Amino acid sequence: MWSRLSTLWRALRGRPEFEDTLADEIRDHIDRYVADLIAAGASPAAARRQARIEFGNVDNVKADCRDARGLRVFDEAHQHLRYALRLLWKAPVFTATSVATLAVCFGACLTIFAVVDAILLRPLPFPNADQLVSIYNTYPRAGVPDDGCSITNYYERRGRLSAFSGLAAYRDGAVIVGQTGQTEREFITRVSPEFFDTLGTSPLLGRAFTDAEMTYETANSAIVSYEYWQEHFGGAASVLGRSIRIDGSPATIVGVLPRSFRFLSSRSRIYLPLASGADERTPDMRHSGNSTRMIARLAAGASVALAQAQIDAHNAVVERTDRQAKLIADAGFRSLVISLHGSHVAAVRPMLLLVQAGVLFLLVIGAVNVTNLLLIRATARLKEFAVRQALGAARRHIVAEVAAETALLTLIGGIAGVALGAAGIRLLVALGSSRLPLGAHLGFDVRVAVAAIAASLATGLAMALPIAWYSVRNYSSSALHAQARGTTASRSAQRLRHAFLITQIALSFVLLAGAGLLATSLMNLSRVAPGFQSAHVLTGQVSLPWARYAKIADRLVFIDRMMDSLHSQPGVVAAGVSTNIPLSGNSNRSASTVKGFVLPPGESIRANYAYAVAGDYFAALRVPIVSGRALTGDDARLGNHVSVVDEDFARRYWPAGNAIGQKLFLGSEEGPDTEAYTVVGVVGAVKQAALSEQDALGAVYYPYAERFDNALYVVTKTSQEPDAFARTLQRVVRGLDPELPVNNIRSMDTRIADSLITRRSPAVLAMLYALIALLLTAIGTYGVLGYAVVQRRREIALRMALGARPDQVRRQFVALAVRLIAGGSIVGIAGAWMTGRAMQALLFQVPPLPASIVVLTAAVLATVCLAACMLPSWRAARIAPSSALAEE
Amino acid sequence: MGKTADLLPGTLDMLILKAVSLRPLHGYGVLLRIKQISGDALDIPQGSLYPALYRLETQGLIAAEWGQSENGRRAKYYTVTASGHRRLRQETDGWNRLTAAIGAALNTTPDEV
Repeated sequence: MWSRLSTLWRALRGRPEFEDTLADEIRDHIDRYVADLIAAGASPAAARRQARIEFGNVDNVKADCRDARGLRVFDEAHQHLRYALRLLWKAPVFTATSVATLAVCFGACLTIFAVVDAILLRPLPFPNADQLVSIYNTYPRAGVPDDGCSITNYYERRGRLSAFSGLAAYRDGAVIVGQTGQTEREFITRVSPEFFDTLGTSPLLGRAFTDAEMTYETANSAIVSYEYWQEHFGGAASVLGRSIRIDGSPATIVGVLPRSFRFLSSRSRIYLPLASGADERTPDMRHSGNSTRMIARLAAGASVALAQAQIDAHNAVVERTDRQAKLIADAGFRSLVISLHGSHVAAVRPMLLLVQAGVLFLLVIGAVNVTNLLLIRATARLKEFAVRQALGAARRHIVAEVAAETALLTLIGGIAGVALGAAGIRLLVALGSSRLPLGAHLGFDVRVAVAAIAASLATGLAMALPIAWYSVRNYSSSALHAQARGTTASRSAQRLRHAFLITQIALSFVLLAGAGLLATSLMNLSRVAPGFQSAHVLTGQVSLPWARYAKIADRLVFIDRMMDSLHSQPGVVAAGVSTNIPLSGNSNRSASTVKGFVLPPGESIRANYAYAVAGDYFAALRVPIVSGRALTGDDARLGNHVSVVDEDFARRYWPAGNAIGQKLFLGSEEGPDTEAYTVVGVVGAVKQAALSEQDALGAVYYPYAERFDNALYVVTKTSQEPDAFARTLQRVVRGLDPELPVNNIRSMDTRIADSLITRRSPAVLAMLYALIALLLTAIGTYGVLGYAVVQRRREIALRMALGARPDQVRRQFVALAVRLIAGGSIVGIAGAWMTGRAMQALLFQVPPLPASIVVLTAAVLATVCLAACMLPSWRAARIAPSSALAEE
Repeated sequence: MGKTADLLPGTLDMLILKAVSLRPLHGYGVLLRIKQISGDALDIPQGSLYPALYRLETQGLIAAEWGQSENGRRAKYYTVTASGHRRLRQETDGWNRLTAAIGAALNTTPDEV
């Protein structure tokens, strides 16, 4: 086998040499025979003649020799390709249209596929990544679907469950790193000792954390990423033992991570111990999530189901003695074990699949379009094929010729598509793959290229099949006859073309309607009143380091001075501080207990948003005061036990409208009256987590005090452009504390826009696809109708000669177009309805298929298709009656 | 020239291998050698000689090399490869067994039945 392949390769490579040798050898043979014949007494002329006769036809012998070498197939393929290339070259408009169509469709498909591959298909970049799971607490009936885990959970579970070979907890955060005057804010992750081991990685230098480092007193070590090591220590091995200042306290570097290490989409370059106090590890704290999360590695042979069963069993045991067992059970509490990859990409998965489906639709539309154009060409050549078959051409020759043309088109289109796709991927990487989970892994590589080649081969084959089948099948004497006379078109060809056009219109209809649904959903969302005024509001984050702001008094002094300083800046209308702001991306919920409220039987406690505010927070965001008063700077300064609730909260607990004066407690239990917060006001409800938020959880606002987070959002309402105020904000804060940077500075308008990105991007892409689909459909309509006119030229001319008016002829073709559009639209409506149902979960207040979208889609499609059929029908109407006689 | 016989299908390859195995030959030489060793009894259609040579070369049973012929002209000389020798032995054995069996069968007299 190998020797054959190598001779074949040699023969192909040395093709001209092969031909020369063969000719030489045969000439030599004949010369020698002639010489022998002359020597035997024949005359030179007779000898030459006899030699030629006995040798036979030299060309046939040569062909047989080539055949013996296995070269014939290549010869034929070469011929077919050259012929196809010539034909394509002679039809530049057709070729350019087809190649451009395929290139755009392939390119779009490839770009999206690269994203889907990087995010959904590829395993996480850890050894045996399929063993990694995420475990989180859920309280569905309390309105808290994912509360991470607690420190208690971690200490109760680790080493006790055989389904896991490793179990770790982590918490993301941010710290201030560096000396006074040159501080930087860095994202960090606090991790338990087994964190790296669970992921299957170990530090490149140094060691992981130890159990001894997991208390506040001992947690003064740090592990840095490879990148941070290179950037700040020049990659020196002496980094171990060096100290960095974190939030004002020194931490010793004990490890450096390997270069490739990145935990999911984390931006952390510094890892710190996940320290906790003994009080945080008690059973009472079992349900205090505090943004801590848990990952685990399944033991060899253990399934997710087994892990889930063990977690459930373990929870059942520890919950038995929980003080709040009933409350927790009523809230539907469970700890869920799901694949780490799955949980990480869950948020973008449906949108990505939708976009991929959309682009596949586009590819099908493009392929159908090119197939139809090819079919028209094949019909035009049907006569030629029929004649050649009648003269004895083998069917496989004709099939091979058609296949060669299709293959060539697909190949050129495919190559152009790969180039476009590669450019598209690079553009995506540049534009914002960082917004996607695992976006860093996005790129054009072998996998994507292989997928591209497979896709173009499959498309080429799918396009060649109907054409080849049609070209060969239609050989019959009647076809020959009908085509030769050039009168009525072969019915089957026409049916096939029309069927393809209807398919194309239907698919475009679905794509257009889908884009319309996404756009409607986006529009509905942007019309949602967020409950606050975003205009001219700038927000930024300040984290007060524990070391220097451990006492509440220090923090309140800082906040007061910051408020005073901001208010004295020109253009500041109002300024306030809150532990969280709407649409910040964090939407922590916690429990509040209303004094005297008896939970109706069968109902669960409900979590609500809880904020601690200072300054004029409500004025800055223009959150309306419905009754009572807002919280003021004094409430925080004086530590008043007062609170403000929003309308949703007030409606649930005091439907009679008597919220003011009521008492509530932070947490899920009633406490002594001295700890109660008296409601002093009711404010308007605000969309906290997302504009699409439907679940009115309610919010409680407390004065900023000891028990609240030290990470603060500063909110300023200005009379100038908010972005122009960013520098002032930075300056004011640095002026109060030179070590404090302000981060995450964005205007509220930007936050609203950013919160819609996972909805806007698919909508924009779908619009783009719809536009391309429209263009393709216009080309398809033009092609089919244009051909119909050419084909029926004689018939039209004859009718004109017999007195038909031009507008009658024109109307005939417009009527044909209308029939095709109507057919396509009817199929399209059915498809769009199914698509709309499938998309329901991704849409905001949009029914599966609103009538307005059907009407609009149909109108746009009909307008475009009718416009595309104007030129052909106008041409039909201008056919001169005399041409009935002139042609053929 | 005596009486000639047509070639049985499949025997041309065998004869070429035999002819070339005696000493390296160019194409025309192969033709002459087969005529010579068969005592001019076999008629080789000249047109089918070259496809057969190319087939055998493609199969790796013979190898070709350019060389000087006796009259000073350049010619392509064919030699048998190791696998060609093996094949020739197999074919010869097979042929001998076949002819012996057919000969025995055809020479059977009524007494021997």
